[in-house]
Amino acid sequence: MGRSSMKDLLVRIDLGNRRAEPWAVPEQLKGYLGGMGYGTKILVDEVPPQTDPLSPENKLILTVGPLTGTMAPMQPQSCIVTKSPLTGTILNCYAGGFLGAEIRFAGLDGLILEGVAPEWTLLLVEDDRVSFHSAEAVLGKSTAETEAYLREIFGPDVHTLSIGRAGEKAVAMASIFSETRTFGRGGAGAVLGSKRVKAIAVRGSRGVEVARPDEFSALVRGNMELLKAACAEEYNLVGMFSRVGTGAGMGLVNGRGALATRNHAFGSFDGSTRIDGYAYADKFYTRAIACYGCPVHCGMLHKFTRADGSSSWLRGPEYETMYSLGSDLLNGDPVVLAEANQICEEYGMDTLSSGVCVAWALEMGESGVLEEPGLELKFGEPAAILGLLRKIGEREGIGDLLARGPKQAAKASGGDLGRFMQIKNSGFAAWMPRRMKGTGLAFATSNRGACHKRAPIGAEITGQIDMDAYEGKAALVREIQDRVNAIFTLVSCRFHEFVTPPEVYPRFVAAATGRDISLKEFLAVGERIWNLERLFNIGAGLGRADDRLPERCYQPIKGEASEGAVVDRDEFERMLDEYYHLRGWDEQGNPTQGKLEQLGIPEYARLGLR
Amino acid sequence: MPLGFDIDRNLCTECLRCLAACSLTKLGRVQLPLARIAVKRRWPEIPEIRVCRFDDCPGQPCIDSCPVEAISRDARGLVLIDRDTCTGCRSCVEACPYGAIWMEENGGNYAYKCDFCGGAPACVQECVTGALVQKGGA
Repeated sequence: MGRSSMKDLLVRIDLGNRRAEPWAVPEQLKGYLGGMGYGTKILVDEVPPQTDPLSPENKLILTVGPLTGTMAPMQPQSCIVTKSPLTGTILNCYAGGFLGAEIRFAGLDGLILEGVAPEWTLLLVEDDRVSFHSAEAVLGKSTAETEAYLREIFGPDVHTLSIGRAGEKAVAMASIFSETRTFGRGGAGAVLGSKRVKAIAVRGSRGVEVARPDEFSALVRGNMELLKAACAEEYNLVGMFSRVGTGAGMGLVNGRGALATRNHAFGSFDGSTRIDGYAYADKFYTRAIACYGCPVHCGMLHKFTRADGSSSWLRGPEYETMYSLGSDLLNGDPVVLAEANQICEEYGMDTLSSGVCVAWALEMGESGVLEEPGLELKFGEPAAILGLLRKIGEREGIGDLLARGPKQAAKASGGDLGRFMQIKNSGFAAWMPRRMKGTGLAFATSNRGACHKRAPIGAEITGQIDMDAYEGKAALVREIQDRVNAIFTLVSCRFHEFVTPPEVYPRFVAAATGRDISLKEFLAVGERIWNLERLFNIGAGLGRADDRLPERCYQPIKGEASEGAVVDRDEFERMLDEYYHLRGWDEQGNPTQGKLEQLGIPEYARLGLR
Repeated sequence: MPLGFDIDRNLCTECLRCLAACSLTKLGRVQLPLARIAVKRRWPEIPEIRVCRFDDCPGQPCIDSCPVEAISRDARGLVLIDRDTCTGCRSCVEACPYGAIWMEENGGNYAYKCDFCGGAPACVQECVTGALVQKGGA
């Protein structure tokens, strides 16, 4: 019998007083397993829903899970939970790489950041010791420059996260970067910036054990065999990712008329074969880069030569970015796409929400509603795409409008919000509700807005189920949301589940921690978290009206591939009714007292009271 | 057949499963800094892989560098450090052309290196890309 992989210890960092205290995980938190479960429970317990996301009262909770730092494959990620300045909802976001494992090697399950630092700060976490350092030397610097500086002053073996200028300037879709991996969605970078934390470096010296080593090793071996077999298959999506990265699937999506193009007006892009994963692997020097312990290695490092002859490196672009900075902007130039991605990386911004803002601005520009001196606001125009992204990062001119997020940008400029592809103010991930009705419902009901992580994308896009049908989608979406939430308590990579059967997760948890848990109980943890998030969002002022698609989704898609595909308003509302009903919520989407009692969280009903 | 590793750094994805498996095998826990193999990231360049090359190491200078003859090569080609004889003088650490010998700091002061897991290295079994392949041994 070994020791649990969980260390039952977080560090609470009081930024205002420059103090850090170890915080032993209370017994009632342990039922939330780790990762997103810990983050959500801590946030709803400690941060009132109406809190201003950029105020000192908001907290940022960075956690890992029971499999982090072990030999279990595809478990490199760490999870941030905070209140989002973009959506006003509770936010969870994820990054791969090595930071998660390093937090575990530091003997921790996570960090809780509270308050605001008196001056711009770098945090160094060495095991459970935290020291505070001046960030003056890297203020205004890019994420890559900042992280290079951390390695220079703290040693080459630290793993890091950082914000760029966008996070410093409270751009609503600022991300937190971690060595080219990104806590992308929802503006966590602006929250970190509001706390005057420019970056965190972590170095751990501790070992990671598991409670039942033989059982655990057998699970690891079994899981590795599954993954290796998947990687060897020609048409397995994970196998395709391992060969050319996440951009492998673009051809399939385009062929199905579901590749969002020209601000979602069209469902296919004739430039897709110039910017997909195969194009990058074919045209540019490519090297596969894995996250910690991952046999899939979907990260692709590419070398580019720019128009001016200079060369540069980029790990990416990822599939979602190929849409948001590619097809959706009518940008079929892989070098321009890479440059656009690099600008987001440099400033520290979500490529999805930033791209969606650019797409809207280009459309508004072509309609004569918006203009910007020196930029011709036109789809496919490289100078406009790159220029707008820089202006968002700098909060300059029209970029300052867009940096406030869709709703404020539309309001301030008089532009059409119905053509802004956002839900709960968060830009669309790369999928079209008009072609994929279940994914549309998942986008609409996501607790963090237009999110693709808990959607029936695979089943719909591959034709396993009828993508255009409404029937049965409510039940499917609900099930996926709960299951993925449960899996995110481990902070497994989202792709892990593409290959790994659900029953493996509770076995992994039991072998790692010694805590026996059935699949049913495991999935109930996911549902419990989903309801806590929903209650928090209701308390923050959201409700049924926020579970809706933008107006464009109710207008037919143009272009041959999916001509006429549309969301029917009544059908959609019926699907939403059914979804609420299946969730045990009332017709306005409020969790009922009976549901909360069934989930063992009746005391949280107070969260939803405004 | 000579004993050692076929290493192709171009195939290394820097996932560090080799380090994790090594420490788990040797220490019963995952603890990367104490692994007997190291992968140094040098983005965008390919990484450096530090591990004993056994029969591929010309002259095997660690053996001669040891003033107390604690390091020897056995009949199968395994180059091993005898912990009981090692005085922790660091001569071998300096002599190793691959930077693949380290000092144990806690509870003593001994040099340690890869022992090929006695013939079937745990690291090789974890390498899915073939960056690290076993030559010779069991």
